[in-house]
Amino acid sequence: MGSYISIAYLLFFLPITVFVYIVMPKKVKPFVLLTASVVFAYLISNFYIAYLVITTVSVYVAALLMEKSKQKCRDALPAAENREEKKAIKRRYASKQRLIVVLVIILNIGILSVLKYSQFFVTNINSIIRLFDSGYKIPLPKFAACIGISFYTLQAVSYVHDVYKDKIKADKNFGRLALFMSFFPIIMEGPICRYSDTAMALWEGKRIDYKNFTFGLQRIAFGIMKKVVAADRLNIIVTAIFREFEYRNFDGGIVFLGAVLYTIELYMEFSGTIDVVIGTAEIFGIKIPENFRQPFFSKSITEFWQRWHITLGTWFRDYIFYPVTMSKGMKKLTKTCRKKLGRDYGPMPASIIAFFCVWACNGLWHGAGWEFIMFGMYHFVLISLGSLILPLSNKVLPRLHIDRNKLPYRIFTILRTCILVCLGEMLFNARGAKEAIKMVKVLFTKFTFKSFFNGSIFTIGMDRFDYIVLLCMVAIVFAVGLMKEKGISPREWLAGKHIVLRWSVYLGMLLVIILFGAYGTGYIPINPIYANF
Amino acid sequence: MDRLIEILEDIQPDADYETCTTLIDDHILGSLQIISLVAEIEDEFDISIPTVEIKPENFNSAQALWEMIQRLEDE
Repeated sequence: MGSYISIAYLLFFLPITVFVYIVMPKKVKPFVLLTASVVFAYLISNFYIAYLVITTVSVYVAALLMEKSKQKCRDALPAAENREEKKAIKRRYASKQRLIVVLVIILNIGILSVLKYSQFFVTNINSIIRLFDSGYKIPLPKFAACIGISFYTLQAVSYVHDVYKDKIKADKNFGRLALFMSFFPIIMEGPICRYSDTAMALWEGKRIDYKNFTFGLQRIAFGIMKKVVAADRLNIIVTAIFREFEYRNFDGGIVFLGAVLYTIELYMEFSGTIDVVIGTAEIFGIKIPENFRQPFFSKSITEFWQRWHITLGTWFRDYIFYPVTMSKGMKKLTKTCRKKLGRDYGPMPASIIAFFCVWACNGLWHGAGWEFIMFGMYHFVLISLGSLILPLSNKVLPRLHIDRNKLPYRIFTILRTCILVCLGEMLFNARGAKEAIKMVKVLFTKFTFKSFFNGSIFTIGMDRFDYIVLLCMVAIVFAVGLMKEKGISPREWLAGKHIVLRWSVYLGMLLVIILFGAYGTGYIPINPIYANF
Repeated sequence: MDRLIEILEDIQPDADYETCTTLIDDHILGSLQIISLVAEIEDEFDISIPTVEIKPENFNSAQALWEMIQRLEDE
């Protein structure tokens, strides 16, 4: 089972799990989900599931040890005779807890780093050795990782960190923690959940009701439509433009088209899969966090990252950005800079340092390669520049009589953000840092629209019909996004309509999937992109 | 409380801090303003705000901020 949008998952795994869940009594229901999750993890990762077990056991034990230490501290405090003694007792236990949390985070980030980054690390060391002509080469290590390791490791780190910081209590129920770590819809591509938001609901064993069941199915159908009609259709043209661009001598116009189409492909694939994931959880009455909120309506790159892969962004915000900016040294820097640089620019130095840490980690999280680091640094520069320019534009725009809230200005900022995002995704999907630089060069030195008018664009993997289907699908997704932007829930809106219209839409979705899905010869379905991160 | 409102108005003048309860939800206070706010509050009230306290429910209104300050002063 390589994907959530597969026959094996949609026609066998999910229906069987739902059926067994329905027939089992309430007390057994959480164990049905746990068993299904373990089976699913084994099916996608085979024996590499051992890494998931190590992570789960390590955070379970570490959290309990910290909880025990906190309890001992609470018991010892009443015996203290004065404030100083109390502080000393707190410090003693806090240092023990800090040691535990640091060790367990090092263990888990260490596993992730070795499995994911050791090849990249050794390749770079070999490149340095080659500079000295020594002829020596370190053999490349070969590790296979458990699928979804980048997602569940972040969940594990947030769990132990939150226990350490007293945000949550350590869970004594190993089954509940194991289900939180391995819940089958989220294990491959997220969203990255927080223990405080999902663990209890997962273990509750809620009854499947009609509304959740139908709403879940609708969300799943919409996700499948995005993936098979749009993302799979784009796979061949995107692969051709990105992998053969030098050999086929594509001009800048085609490279730009590739950047735009790859961005659409990535969004349709990732958000489509997340629709299936959230729809699956909804069937079981479990609300998991949204990962997208109409990202292409963003008016700045900062806003884009508050709407795209939201759970990764909030993870970096809570566990890297704020701990860095709120560290003693950075607070001191902010106070000093506020006195010297004023209200607007005072917090900039500390936040730019934190942005750098966040975007270096974000780039590396997406993959072990210089192109991913470049992608991270591209967004770091854009976000830092955006923060630096904002106070200036706040003063300049009113003087030029430009109203930020007027439609033309909003459209301009949305288009500007979309173009910047597409360029970033181009760096992201390039075959390496050198190739990415070449593509940027072609984009700015050989830009022409000729290929759009001489028919060349219909020869790279999509014909006229494919473009029309793609445009219709983009229009549907745009219309649904627009409704959500206006605060209307499309599914609630549809549920209030006449039965004929409602069922016409449901059957229409099915027909679109069957008739316009990119199946058969001439198409190659796209592999889940985010599952490899 | 008056001093807190003064700090808030200095950091982000475009809000009615007496009534607004959605400072974070409506993006009136962004991450840069929060960094400044924490630094100023710590200085003014001689407290230390740990990162776990940086959550929307503590920063969504002047009242919530005031309650957090008082709680941290007592600790």
